Amino acid sequence: MKRYEYHRPRSLEEALRLKGADPGACYVAGATDVMVRVRAGDLAPTALISLRGVPELRGIDFGDVGRGARLGAATTIGEIAAHPGLREAYPVLAQAAAVLGSVQIRNAATVGGNLCNASPCADTAPALLVLGARLRLQRPGGHREVPLEEFFRGPGETCLARDEVVTQVLLDPPAAGARSAYRKQGRVHMDLAQASLAVLVELDGATCRRALLAAGSVAPVPLRLKPVEALLAGTRLDEGVLAEAGALAARTVAPITDVRATADYRRAIVGVFLRRMLADLRDGGARPARRPA
Amino acid sequence: MAELRYIGTETPRPEAADKASGRATYIHDLQRPGMLHGKVKFSEHAHARIVRIDTSKAERLPGVKAVITARNTPEVRIGFLRDNFALKGDKVRQFRDEVAAVAAIDAETAAAAVELIQVEYEPLPAVFDPVAALEEGAPLIHERDERGRPVTSNRLPLTYRHDSGDLAAGRRAARHVVSGEYSTPLIQQCCLGTAGCLAELDGNGHLTIWAKTQIPFLAQRDFVRALADLGLKGKNARVIVPTLGGGFGTGLDTHAYEYLAILLAWRTGRPVKIVYSREEEFACLSPRQSARSRIEQGCDADGRLTFRHVEVLQDNGAYASWGATYPSVMMLPATSLYRVPNVHFEATLVYTNNTYCQAMRGYGNPEITWGLEQSLDDLAEALGVDPLELRLRNCNEPGEVTPMGLKITTCGLRECLERTGQKLGWREKRGAGRPGPGPRRRGVGLASLVHVGGGGRIYRSDATGVILKFDDFGNVNVLHGGVEMGQGLHSVLSLAVAEAVGVRPESVFINQTDTGTCPWDVGTHASRGAFMACQAALRAGAKARQRIFVLCEGIFPEEAERSLKALRKKNPDYAPPAFDLRAAARRENFELEGGTVTIKGAPVEPWLRVELSRILRGAHFREQGEMLTVEAFYDPPNELPDFERGCGNMSACYAFGTQGAEVEVDTETGEVRILRLVAVHDVGKALNPQTLKGQMYGALAQGLGYALYEEVVTEHGRIVNPDFRDYKIPTACEMDFPIDLDFVETNEPNGPFGAKGVGEPGLVPTAPAIANAIYDAVGIRIHDLPITPGKVLEALAAKDSCGR
Ligand SMILES: Cc1cc2nc3c(=O)[nH]c(=O)nc-3n(C[C@H](O)[C@H](O)[C@H](O)COP(=O)(O)OP(=O)(O)OC[C@H]3O[C@@H](n4cnc5c(N)ncnc54)[C@H](O)[C@@H]3O)c2cc1C
Repeated sequence: MKRYEYHRPRSLEEALRLKGADPGACYVAGATDVMVRVRAGDLAPTALISLRGVPELRGIDFGDVGRGARLGAATTIGEIAAHPGLREAYPVLAQAAAVLGSVQIRNAATVGGNLCNASPCADTAPALLVLGARLRLQRPGGHREVPLEEFFRGPGETCLARDEVVTQVLLDPPAAGARSAYRKQGRVHMDLAQASLAVLVELDGATCRRALLAAGSVAPVPLRLKPVEALLAGTRLDEGVLAEAGALAARTVAPITDVRATADYRRAIVGVFLRRMLADLRDGGARPARRPA
Repeated sequence: MAELRYIGTETPRPEAADKASGRATYIHDLQRPGMLHGKVKFSEHAHARIVRIDTSKAERLPGVKAVITARNTPEVRIGFLRDNFALKGDKVRQFRDEVAAVAAIDAETAAAAVELIQVEYEPLPAVFDPVAALEEGAPLIHERDERGRPVTSNRLPLTYRHDSGDLAAGRRAARHVVSGEYSTPLIQQCCLGTAGCLAELDGNGHLTIWAKTQIPFLAQRDFVRALADLGLKGKNARVIVPTLGGGFGTGLDTHAYEYLAILLAWRTGRPVKIVYSREEEFACLSPRQSARSRIEQGCDADGRLTFRHVEVLQDNGAYASWGATYPSVMMLPATSLYRVPNVHFEATLVYTNNTYCQAMRGYGNPEITWGLEQSLDDLAEALGVDPLELRLRNCNEPGEVTPMGLKITTCGLRECLERTGQKLGWREKRGAGRPGPGPRRRGVGLASLVHVGGGGRIYRSDATGVILKFDDFGNVNVLHGGVEMGQGLHSVLSLAVAEAVGVRPESVFINQTDTGTCPWDVGTHASRGAFMACQAALRAGAKARQRIFVLCEGIFPEEAERSLKALRKKNPDYAPPAFDLRAAARRENFELEGGTVTIKGAPVEPWLRVELSRILRGAHFREQGEMLTVEAFYDPPNELPDFERGCGNMSACYAFGTQGAEVEVDTETGEVRILRLVAVHDVGKALNPQTLKGQMYGALAQGLGYALYEEVVTEHGRIVNPDFRDYKIPTACEMDFPIDLDFVETNEPNGPFGAKGVGEPGLVPTAPAIANAIYDAVGIRIHDLPITPGKVLEALAAKDSCGR
């Protein structure tokens, strides 16, 4: 195997400086995507800059539900899946984290890496999309915040500039009456999604005030299902509406056929998932998010 | 051997500790002084003429020691039809064709050098479908045969045909007839240890090769022939088998990469190792062959089978390896699974530009049983009889001679069927149309199998040998040519040797398989390993006992008296019972058990028990001393079949079994969940229940993978899912259902300790059992493996639109 210079910066500033000095270098967090691509010969960086030891990128800041949450970009998927506060306030995210890869992968993989890799099947992406997540991006001498929705540009493409890193994922406090869930289907348990769906609804009894829906593996980027959201807003979630929403979801997605599944199959199951998940959430199947204090 | 002490006990396998702790030495771990790393340059076309190969850049790369092509090395032909070459010279016929190889000081340099080799191709029209390949005007994969004569068709020159009874009469006698077409995909054996070898030539031109093989002695023959091609006539090839990370049939033939390692070692004068990456293992090793079958069968008004008509078309890929001989085993279930008097079987094998195929566990049997057992369910429905009942009415019986001439000695099929039914709750569950939660439906199904259980003669000799080499410590070192590849052969063999000789299993050591030291064995295939090894061990053990008891005549009394003397010294009051030791010390009176020699009928006194080690040392160190080594060679009572006529009793006995599945089908997503698997197998006798269960659980997982997940996907001959990201096998998460395993012990008289071979049967009927359960649940038939959720949804939709 080719040998690489491997940097372990101890601060954000040092990380940015290293990257500035060697533009061909590649950031790595868990390296679970990077090393696969390096070994396949798809990526040949001049050096690797590890973000694991950068304190600004670590940690889950979730003291008080009312303030929302800040996740360091280098937070591991396993930490998210196991975090009691996040599980309570953002079930959709914890559920997505819990089905990403295997135990070993979840121990290494990070949320920042999952998003920056920008795969259409990234499990945390649909979950964070329905939570309206924003990303904090740092570059030498400045930072900006972008809504996750504007972050993805295409398969493997984001709006991240060459000299930027993602430092944090920012989440608003859960809205009143919000319930959410994530469902992924693979051919076997440990698989990339054939299709996945994140659903967040704000309910008044059986009436849906607002719905946020995002699907994975059904388009070049993790996809918000806006026509279906519009259909659901303000409706009573009765069986007729659920069926209609499922059918519309199947029409809204734009999947392809590959070794994991056919396009038709992906369409079909997105519709089924939506119908089932809405019914479950309506009936209280997933734990409701705790009200802001 | 009246009472068994070790055989039949749950015993951990001897190599487990080393494997679990990372000490086992696989091919990947092997190093030799001065060793180079080899890497293969594969074709970039499915079918193309090679115009030019430019190796100059690769040769100039520092660290590269040799770059070989067909143009700068002697021709080495391989394969049993001699239709393949270690290096392709004129044209490539599949994507994985070897066009060049490199030896370099490390693996990275070798990989970089391979990238620098430039090959210019002139693409040729290619054909990937076996039906299209048979059409007139189809591109010819091979223009000439081995002897250079022109060839006019892509059909392989191999005939597999069976005709028995009177098919027309069988058809006339049938009240109900069903037919169907079925297919099974290419799948990969998925050894966790990828393929590889290390080849080294010594100063005299003799080859030593550490190989991932299941046929060390046939490989030796192949390699000796290749050495002759290199001008090393009369030189020896010694094949050594290191710890293997699975075999599953991959090691049944020799592979181009092995010849390339030999060529590179010859060219460089240094040891050369080639190890495949996972992607190479998927894309460049020979998978299980795909097959299409047309099955028609009928029964009379009572449900007795009157005829069976089976036609098989196999996509052979570009060259002939053992995939091309699957029909020799397909004939078994086609003619002999359940009693059917009039049978036609025929298989056609066709060259295409797809990857060529090799052996895999089950070897043609799962491919046919997949359709056969579904077709039987169809027949039961046509007749209006319960599928289990139909099978019982046609059940094989002991003493039967099947249309293929298989002599069924023992047969536990009836019991397997009945027990599977009981365990599944067949009576209550079958046909009950039981709903599961929401849009899910539940069903049960079952399927059976017959397979060779006492070797499988596909070669002039089906034999094996065992050498028992005793040492001064009473240990028995076993030399045996069969291959331990994870299945538990060494565990069972050490129990058998312990039992046969009369020593403790801890004193038995199985040596590394090595053609230089071990007696000949045809190969570890056809579920024959344990069966043959134990038979040879029984014979060698009997010889050893005879020899030991002869030694005892002189040595036992001396040793016993010495013990007595020591005893008296310690305890002067000790009065030994009256016993004429000298008179009793006759060979027929000795007994050896657990490593201790005694005299039958002698008083039970400690000094009258002599450890085997003392006898052996006594023999060793006396004047004109001798060391005890015995050998036995066993060839089973079976026949080499005539495959063109489809008859011959190829095995000394036959294994049977039935598996049942309870499934839950999600009618909206098409997912199939296994709620339970039942497997009841006629194993003759459980030699080591622990390894037996291991074989069965592993086989069931493979059977489940075949049923639901696995398929090597090709696009115009290129494999597009060559890794575990895109090719899925079941993991522990998928095996999350109860497995009810049970064994019928029929005590096979031709088997060692009553046992039959059991290596393959466990994965044969799994897929059809699941398919039959799906039919019970939702009324659809999937004819093409694997049963993916997409196919289930399509079939459900088709059924709905028919129903309307
Ligand atoms: C066996 C296996 C199974 C997998 N299963 C799944 C699965 O089920 N679902 C799924 O979604 N994914 C899966 N993956 C993919 C992968 O594990 C995830 O995408 C993971 O979250 C990537 O995180 P990482 O920290 O390892 O990323 P890395 O590999 O370290 O980085 C990925 C990319 O992001 C960039 N990057 C990382 N952090 C930052 C940052 N803070 N700022 C800017 N750029 C950054 C890197 O430069 C790189 O381009 C699997 C991978 C493997 C090997």
